[in-house]
Amino acid sequence: MNTAHDELKHDAAAYALDALEAAERAAFEAHLGSCAECAADVRQMRLAAGPLPHAVPQVSPPPSLRARILGEIAGAAAPASAPAPAMVAGETRGLPAWLQIAAMLAIGAGVFFYAQRMQARVSNLEAQLRQAQTLVAAAERQTLEARNVAFRAQSAMGVFAAPDVARIDLAGQPVAQTARARALWSRARGMVFTVSNLPPLPPGRVYQVWVVTSQAPVSAGLLTPDASGGGSVYFETPVDILPPTAVAVTLEPAGGVPAPTGAMYLVGKPSPL
Amino acid sequence: MLIWLFAAVAGFPGRSSESQAEDRRSLQRAASGDSAGLAALYDRHGRAVYSLAIRILGDEGDAEEVTQDVFAQAWRRGGQYDEARGTVAAWLLVMARTRAIDRFRARRVRPEGRVQDDDGMTLQQLPATSPDVASEMMAAERGQRVRQALEALPFLQRVAIELAYFEGLSQREIAERLEQPLGTVKTRMRLGLLKLRDALVEGQP
Repeated sequence: MNTAHDELKHDAAAYALDALEAAERAAFEAHLGSCAECAADVRQMRLAAGPLPHAVPQVSPPPSLRARILGEIAGAAAPASAPAPAMVAGETRGLPAWLQIAAMLAIGAGVFFYAQRMQARVSNLEAQLRQAQTLVAAAERQTLEARNVAFRAQSAMGVFAAPDVARIDLAGQPVAQTARARALWSRARGMVFTVSNLPPLPPGRVYQVWVVTSQAPVSAGLLTPDASGGGSVYFETPVDILPPTAVAVTLEPAGGVPAPTGAMYLVGKPSPL
Repeated sequence: MLIWLFAAVAGFPGRSSESQAEDRRSLQRAASGDSAGLAALYDRHGRAVYSLAIRILGDEGDAEEVTQDVFAQAWRRGGQYDEARGTVAAWLLVMARTRAIDRFRARRVRPEGRVQDDDGMTLQQLPATSPDVASEMMAAERGQRVRQALEALPFLQRVAIELAYFEGLSQREIAERLEQPLGTVKTRMRLGLLKLRDALVEGQP
């Protein structure tokens, strides 16, 4: 039992993230029933994993989805609001004439004050409506932005999971012999570029990453390494790019250039993953 | 201690018990065939479910189908919901993730089935206008806290967690992709989750 525990205790995080394969999960769950330590550990891991769905940019579904769900699933249209109670018509027949006139005068006066109050309320409501419209417009803008962020975030992580991912290991060139880098590239998802041991940048310069194709090198983007000369960056690359024959890093003027001009620091060719 | 316990049950620290009680009532109504209960659940959680599905699948049509599936499940099997295992919101989101990942995996297995996610993402359908700006702002704030906590993690801890949770890779697949020993991936996931927990739970007032 202790051996099982020693073997399985490191799986709590993967279990909470649902990253165990079926057999591993079965073994871990069997162990969980009898191990208070692992059960407590899983609870801690779930505290962290539980909120993960909230990290995704929030995107509003189209309104038609609500109608479809309520219509098809619940077999009924969206529940209508409760029917308004029917107005009961006043019974005025048979009243003495003077009382009818008095009633009409009273109603007329009432209507006058009512109209005045209504007008104040209407302009108040109009102001609120304008405010609400501004908020809605802002929310729509946010949603569009969020949607773009969602797709970008998905691309960055999706590179690792992409079926067409290619790995490119880059070796340091004479100007930077100890530098190393690895690029993971997918046509649909873009490129994750991880580098270490690049020399510090001279002032006014920046490293630029190139995807080399059979035609011309295409700039993937700029790279400013951290103090140790390392870093990880995600680049979006054009989906209509030719298959890369190499990836390279050159030293270029700050802001980057349309075609490589400076010394080559790193270069490497794709290898199948 | 009590707060920790509560947060564990709530699925998200600080989520108020009233909204869970309300969700539970709505779910009970839905499970007993009252479509108003389902409508209330959808209005409170439809957006979060849809957003998670679209993050995993990157396709609006698929995300709609997953969302529809999740609420169909709430309608038919709401009676099986067990509060001891988490909030109604967490239950719906776990279902959304499972279904979206299943779809995503099925798509990966069939290379033909790869989505045209580049032309598929049209912005033709404008998002629904928000029925409740205040609650969306609260959700946005909460989301931002989780995102910031994630972004503060060292790159590989974050990548390991996101690959598992949002891309549905197993720890073995992650180890292969990252070319790290399996033990290292386990450690990175664990450290990352511990840091997230500290950032999200202990930061609570």
